Amino acid sequence: MKSLIAALWVEILKIRKSNMWWATILFFMFVSSMMGLLMFVQIHPEISSKLGMIGNKASMLRFGEPNWQNYGTLLIQGIAGVGLVGIGFITSWIFGREFSDHTIKDILALPVSRSHIVLSKFIVIIIWALILSFVYFGSGLIIGLLIDIPGWNTEIVLKCANTYLITSVLMIFLSTPVAFIASYSRGYMLPMGFVILTLIVANFTGLVGLGPYFPWAIPGLFGTPTEIESMQLNNASYIILVFTSLLGLFGTLALWRFSDQM
Amino acid sequence: MTTDIIRTENISKHFGDVQAVSELSLNVRKGEIYGFLGLNGAGKTTTIRMLLGMIRPTSGTAFINGKIVSADNTELWGKVGSLVETPYAYPELTVRENLEIFRRLRFISDKKVIDNVVDKLKLNSYANRKAKNLSLGNNQRLGLAKALMHNPEILLLDEPANGLDPAGIYEIREMLSDLATNHGVTIFISSHILAEISRFSTRIGIIHEGKLVKELDTSQLEEISSKRLLINAGNIQLAYSVLVENGFNVEKTKDNHISLKDESAILKPDVIATLMGNAGCPPTLLKVEEEDLESYFFRIIGMKGGIQ
Repeated sequence: MKSLIAALWVEILKIRKSNMWWATILFFMFVSSMMGLLMFVQIHPEISSKLGMIGNKASMLRFGEPNWQNYGTLLIQGIAGVGLVGIGFITSWIFGREFSDHTIKDILALPVSRSHIVLSKFIVIIIWALILSFVYFGSGLIIGLLIDIPGWNTEIVLKCANTYLITSVLMIFLSTPVAFIASYSRGYMLPMGFVILTLIVANFTGLVGLGPYFPWAIPGLFGTPTEIESMQLNNASYIILVFTSLLGLFGTLALWRFSDQM
Repeated sequence: MTTDIIRTENISKHFGDVQAVSELSLNVRKGEIYGFLGLNGAGKTTTIRMLLGMIRPTSGTAFINGKIVSADNTELWGKVGSLVETPYAYPELTVRENLEIFRRLRFISDKKVIDNVVDKLKLNSYANRKAKNLSLGNNQRLGLAKALMHNPEILLLDEPANGLDPAGIYEIREMLSDLATNHGVTIFISSHILAEISRFSTRIGIIHEGKLVKELDTSQLEEISSKRLLINAGNIQLAYSVLVENGFNVEKTKDNHISLKDESAILKPDVIATLMGNAGCPPTLLKVEEEDLESYFFRIIGMKGGIQ
């Protein structure tokens, strides 16, 4: 336990002192403000034409009536894409930088076990990802109140928050394969490429009706369920997601433990 | 009775078709400074990485303090300090924060160790500077500070003099000598700077193409190194003839001097001087030249550079 706490303290210090911490928070706030802007255009269609592309996009998307239910859905749809990229990015950075900064060789022959170093990294990824999720949803709510979205309903907002939180947690599960690829490729370029690829494939599997069986499509399908039968999540979907996560976790642990660290 | 603090038993490492280290067996006793010499790519760093459990040997075993080195055996590292190749630090963190990380990861409760090691490595002026803004020499000092902060009993250092200026090299050499001599610290140090190693190692191992080709005590170096008597004279041609006539094995050097490797000549150069003087070609230069570690090293690995 002492070993894990020491490793955790170190990981938190590294994040606290990096520019990445504030950069990701600002990025998530920016994305949620964009969602607010889309809703604002929905509320005020008369300014749509003055906003060019954004106005057209907002009109095109047609999220139904501008109300809190639809705004909540919009925020969840946003996190389903941005969250995967964001969490993938912080995972790539946390694991990949040890290799690209060549600091890995200094943390291997220490009294702290390698497993604890890996676990501490996953713990900070979970904490960081949850904070980003709260920042995104919290700033989204504040923006919603500022632009005066009509029909505030506490029950609806809480229901959206619940769905949003579970969607975020499902996405956090998918950070482990990214960590594995960062550790295997010894950097953060390949895992970032992998994250973008999963996003593309998730959209494709959605189109061909295989979304419920592709891990990276599952959080999005959970967050914004559709009526289409082939897009319904089932028990197998959750088993696949958890299995993928465990594979990534144990793969990363094994890689740090057994592979040569040059 | 001597105790082997570091020991390898026929360790080998292959990377695909490349044999980086081949059946290397060595032992380092308590308080020794073991200089591990080799050209770039000879297998020095691979050996150190195997000793630190960073690389698993393809075959053979490494021991530290009698315990098998493996990634799981974390208790080993509490007494070991290491520096592997060019040191790197977390660039966004200051020198002090970088050291704080290692204080935590080594479970050292005394916070003063950071001030002490900063003092010892003369990093005071840079303590609050971010690592990314340090010079190569100061990065090296930071790397050494991380290796030394917990007063280790064993030090595994890979090219620790890299990037240091001559004063820094001297300072580190004195510090390491003091640690070994007065505090019983066992030091395994790899380098390709031979003069540096010869100045303070107690034992030397020469690795070439992955194989340990020679191991010797530094005190033996004088006994086993080649010597020659180097001669010059006003009439070098006459001197050459006189020495040949007297049965010496005479060679000419590139700069037109005479080189004698006969033991009798090396032990008694005054006899040679008399001989040449009597023959009318007194020597203008008479010098017993002893092979230094560099020449010895090149001779052992079969490259040009040794005393020919």
